[in-house]
Amino acid sequence: MPSLGGLLKKRRTKDSQTLSKELEAGSAQTQTSPNAAEDHNQNHHHHHLFHHHHHHQPATNSGTAPQPQNSVPQQPNRSSGAEKTSEGQVASMQSAVTQASPSAHHNSGLPQSNSNAASIQNIIHPSQQGAMHSGSSGHAQAQQSSRSDTRTTKGKYSLEDFSLQRTLGTGSFGRVHLVQSKHNHRFYAVKVLKKAQVVKMKQIEHTNDERRMLNRVRHPFLITLWGTWQDSRNLYMVMDFVEGGELFSLLRKSQRFPNPVAKFYAAEVTLALEYLHSQQIIYRDLKPENLLLDRHGHLKITDFGFAKEVPDITWTLCGTPDYLAPEVVSSKGYNKSVDWWSLGILIFEMLCGFTPFWDSGSPVKIYENILRGRVKYPPYLHPDAVDLLSQLITSDLTKRLGNLHGGSDDVKNHPWFAEVTWDRLARKDIDAPYVPPIRGGQGDASQYDRYPEETEQYGMAGEDPHGHLFPDF
Amino acid sequence: MAESAFPSTHQPLRVGTKDDKPATFQKISEDEEYEVTSPTDPTFRTANAAAASSSTGSPFFGGGYGDSSGPIRFNRSPFDDGSREEDEEADEFPPEDIRPTGAANQGFPNNYALGRRTSVSAESLNPTSAGSDSWSPPYHEKSEDQLSRLKTAVSSNFLFSHLDDDQFKTVLDALVEKPIPAKGIKVISQGDAGDYFYIVENGNFDVLIHPSGAVQPGPDGMGNKVNTIGPGGSFGELALMYNAPRAATVVSIDPKSTLWALDRITFRRILMDSAFQRRRMYEAFLEEVPLLSSLKPYERAKIADALDAIKYPAGSTIIAEGDPGDAFYLLESGEADAFKNGVEGAVKAYSRGDYFGELALLDDKPRAASIVATTEVKVAKLGRDGFKRLLGPVEEIMRRAEYEQKPTPS
Repeated sequence: MPSLGGLLKKRRTKDSQTLSKELEAGSAQTQTSPNAAEDHNQNHHHHHLFHHHHHHQPATNSGTAPQPQNSVPQQPNRSSGAEKTSEGQVASMQSAVTQASPSAHHNSGLPQSNSNAASIQNIIHPSQQGAMHSGSSGHAQAQQSSRSDTRTTKGKYSLEDFSLQRTLGTGSFGRVHLVQSKHNHRFYAVKVLKKAQVVKMKQIEHTNDERRMLNRVRHPFLITLWGTWQDSRNLYMVMDFVEGGELFSLLRKSQRFPNPVAKFYAAEVTLALEYLHSQQIIYRDLKPENLLLDRHGHLKITDFGFAKEVPDITWTLCGTPDYLAPEVVSSKGYNKSVDWWSLGILIFEMLCGFTPFWDSGSPVKIYENILRGRVKYPPYLHPDAVDLLSQLITSDLTKRLGNLHGGSDDVKNHPWFAEVTWDRLARKDIDAPYVPPIRGGQGDASQYDRYPEETEQYGMAGEDPHGHLFPDF
Repeated sequence: MAESAFPSTHQPLRVGTKDDKPATFQKISEDEEYEVTSPTDPTFRTANAAAASSSTGSPFFGGGYGDSSGPIRFNRSPFDDGSREEDEEADEFPPEDIRPTGAANQGFPNNYALGRRTSVSAESLNPTSAGSDSWSPPYHEKSEDQLSRLKTAVSSNFLFSHLDDDQFKTVLDALVEKPIPAKGIKVISQGDAGDYFYIVENGNFDVLIHPSGAVQPGPDGMGNKVNTIGPGGSFGELALMYNAPRAATVVSIDPKSTLWALDRITFRRILMDSAFQRRRMYEAFLEEVPLLSSLKPYERAKIADALDAIKYPAGSTIIAEGDPGDAFYLLESGEADAFKNGVEGAVKAYSRGDYFGELALLDDKPRAASIVATTEVKVAKLGRDGFKRLLGPVEEIMRRAEYEQKPTPS
């Protein structure tokens, strides 16, 4: 039987046929959201999006309800008691569902098979939660601290929670696996980082930031982090499995995208950057490899390996050579405007199939070209696109769109984006131009390239010389 | 279909038009977001998995869509949703426009690397972190001769050409001598982590590349010789940016040779510390400008980001009385005097931390005085247009706090 939440959530779906089909089938929605906390957060989240600006919940709520952007959907103990007061009937009906679900958390110390575990927690924790948050009403500093409470208590999992499947991607310090939860049989992606490698590559700060930033963000076009854990050798980050594969694969197969297709993806990225920057988060690694397509063809930005809270200026050279802004290359110190430069490179690459400063495979030549700043725009580019690109791919920070007085609105209001209805896009109310052919249902990873599998065993006991460097995992 | 990476680069994209019925079956419910579920939440029922996969199998997917044998097809423009005027659509998205041409390789770089690109990163540096105040760059004595040779060696290098004189000097001072006492010594090995940049003082070095990307065991393990580097040459500059595997092996071919070496952390520290200090200086200077006193810290930071440093030799005129004002100046170093027509002698003297021309941020009234450098002068300049683009109209900023117009010579 579909939950009340499931029905309510369906309100914007236009196709009544779909709805009735789902009712018959036991509703896709029940399956998707068994958890009141999630719905609650999502509602707030959308609200949040519409207004674009950071807003604080009224003090009466902040004492009990989770902050929308720091919310921890999988924590039933954060949800039930709080939601009843703030969301009224819907929430309380759903919290009944939540309480029935033994969302076991290993850090709770309660047996995970005990279906009362969650409700026991609910009985134990509401007062604590209340106490924890009561001091935080509206005050930024205090919010920060409630945020860190969240972080340390949020989703701790273990290898035993999942069955590991194939590799979806590899990186310098590890790889991403498709996994299946043993609890709900749903599929997730687990990023595995080798601690020794992270330390050797001096990426401890970036890795801790990755977890912190991912934990803070909540946006339709950003990947969701469910939780983390570590063993003696590796760090593990549990994230959504996004079925459609990398935009990179689609782009290379297509060679280049038609103008409206590139526009669609660029627009979704623009909204994600706008959100991140509003949270004072700089992303720093925009590229098609880091953009995933969900099953409907909407984007999810993944890999927060270089994301960081930067209110004003930062110094570390990082990113991907083709996408580095000149102020990064010349080591001047830089700010969030480097993401807008990278957006320009991304749009260029989507429209042309190659990046503007690429040169015979030599990074040094790429950097020389970036500093020289000359871009050749192929004649097939739409004039509006050229105009936008020339205002993003500019070393003059007083001219780069996104960095100016109008902020991200300058980008969104550019003629190239004229036909984008931003509020609808933010609701995913615009059909994607390409829907990945996912036929295998849940856990179909056919859209991902194959990689040689890891030979080293995960979950090994033994000495853990680096564990203390990653306290949040 | 993902496996056959690039079936044919010449396959033109086909973009669905309005006649492509399947595309219109797409229903994307905004509830997609709700589909996420905590991994340890067991309430997800397997029965629903079947429902989910069958719902994925909409008519849209039934018709061989996305088959690896076929070209990728895009729906009609995602923004063609009927909310706009019908006839406009055709204008804005003529089919030709949506379809990359058959001659798709037009303008495509030769041998463009189509693989995934690896992210790169230097170690995190933070000027405010503990101990940075006590850090001072290494100093290794060099003769005038050596210095000028080193200068020539790196002046065209992209990592050095953007340094100001002070940074450049500090960097050259930090170079350390590395005697290479024999022939056949591998200074850097292909595939190894790179930490140092080298400049050849004397002697010659072979550059070898093994196609595998790393030195291999055996007599030919270093690969093929691609170049020889002699005095004044340099190699390994990428190591000054981040830790990338060495792209080649460099081996000494003379019985005795000498290199100068610089490591990344030192290089980046020098650049960061000087940039950071300059920035702090700019921000401090900007705080002193009454016209800008109501700026918020992030706005001041934005201005500081956008300031251009310019040098003027002694005796040169920085702004001329009567010219339209278009920029604002902070005096970073040196001294300057203000002169007015018909007035004997300087009407005002400027030194480090002073500013002039700020009224040009308001309008382009003629400059009320000339400013002449009395010594070599370094200024940080910001144009009115740039200021307005960054922060909006100055009038609005002024409205935040009353600005008393002091009689300044500009």
